[in-house]
Amino acid sequence: MKNYSKLVNFEISRFLKFYLILIGLTIVFQLIGAIIMSKEYVSFSNKVIYEEQIPVSQYIEQYGTFLFQNYINSVWFTMPIFFCIAMLMIYVFFIWYRDWFGKNTFIYRLLMLPTERITIYFAKLTAILLMVLGLISIQIILMAFEIQIINSIVPTEFQTYLSFNEIFKLQILSYLYPNTFTDFILIYGLGLILVAVLFTAILLERSYRLIGIFFAIVYVILSFGIFISPLLMDALYTDFFYPLEIFGMVVVTSIIVLVSTIWIANQLLKYKIRV
Amino acid sequence: MIEVKNVKKKYGKKLVLDNLSFTAAKGEITCLIGINGVGKTTIMKTIMALTPINSGEILIDGEKIRKESFEKITFIPDTITMLPQMKISDAFEFMADFYKNWNTQRGEELLHFFKLDPNERIADLSKGNMAKVNLLLGLALDVEYLLMDEPFSGIDIFSREQIAEVFTSHLIEDRGVIITTHEINDIEHLIDKAVLIENGKVVKEFNVEEVRENEGKSVVDEVYSK
Repeated sequence: MKNYSKLVNFEISRFLKFYLILIGLTIVFQLIGAIIMSKEYVSFSNKVIYEEQIPVSQYIEQYGTFLFQNYINSVWFTMPIFFCIAMLMIYVFFIWYRDWFGKNTFIYRLLMLPTERITIYFAKLTAILLMVLGLISIQIILMAFEIQIINSIVPTEFQTYLSFNEIFKLQILSYLYPNTFTDFILIYGLGLILVAVLFTAILLERSYRLIGIFFAIVYVILSFGIFISPLLMDALYTDFFYPLEIFGMVVVTSIIVLVSTIWIANQLLKYKIRV
Repeated sequence: MIEVKNVKKKYGKKLVLDNLSFTAAKGEITCLIGINGVGKTTIMKTIMALTPINSGEILIDGEKIRKESFEKITFIPDTITMLPQMKISDAFEFMADFYKNWNTQRGEELLHFFKLDPNERIADLSKGNMAKVNLLLGLALDVEYLLMDEPFSGIDIFSREQIAEVFTSHLIEDRGVIITTHEINDIEHLIDKAVLIENGKVVKEFNVEEVRENEGKSVVDEVYSK
């Protein structure tokens, strides 16, 4: 356990610089976006009001208030999020391969640590999970600032009040911040299983090299098949299962996929891995 | 004792280790001799479970390798096993964090002996100094067995002498060492036992001192007379 937490800390500190750059880019991009979009709205509304000589109420009636959802759905807000997701997906692979390639083969050191090798797997998995949770937490704080910025630029009569609860129901945010705790566990749990499966696929490739790529692809397809089998059954036998039964089956297949992926990874790291 | 018994190892269809067997005792320096590509590094990796074997058995003091074994045996490969952005002091900290057997005092001693600056980044080290750090990270562990892969490869003459000095010091005494080389001259006078390898097979295994005394032959003579 002690070695596990040390390794998690080590993995995070290795990615920290890049992670901070990701956070920095997200902050800068989103804040600039919030300023630009609200200023554009204000200048447009000013222009229309002066040119058409209409009262504010009529302008709002015709053109509407500044909608926070327009900002949330804009490229300024979504692009950094998608960029972070893409970077973390690349990092899922990079977190393993960087230890094999390059001038210094750190994998020698990792595999020769006096600890169960599966601890390395868990530490890398935890590092990815913590980074994801870190990003979504920072996004919440960032949104609070963005609301403040927008409200400070857009005059009160042009604003529409949205509670945080309503904000979280907006498109992209409803995926990032599921409405219930169960949904949160489900979505992020599935994400975790996906990363675990990809890790095992990487280990298959690292153990069997060229033929390992084939094993890895077959393994990912197989895991996906097991995972979606309850949904396929539901599609085949319409109205045969209660939703709760389907949910139960998905939970069971998820557990099967997760346990088997950890077991395979453990066997590969113990007996098959190649440096 | 390290026992390598009838080990077979294939890379694809190529047989790299062919029923290979030898032993390496504690308190002795065993040298695996052979030209490049005969499987010397692979043997080291198989002992450390860094590559799987197809058949055979490898035992360390009668036991198969397990996590606790890494406090007993260590491997010094021919490339440094620490991150380039780390300083030497960071590498020390890393080792102390994970290994109960990390001997800080010995580490400091070796740092002094090799005249290395702990604040220097690994990426900025010369090839010779990098090899010294690599060696240091292995030697400062209080392990019973040390595996060294070509410790003199590509290193300048002065560094070679410094490294060779380590072999005759208390740093090696009482430990079991397996060393690989394709340049026997460098370490001929240091080794106790020679294992000649050709095409993944042990072609000769002999006690250097006995051959020297009984036959008046050196390791080099033996290698060429084989």
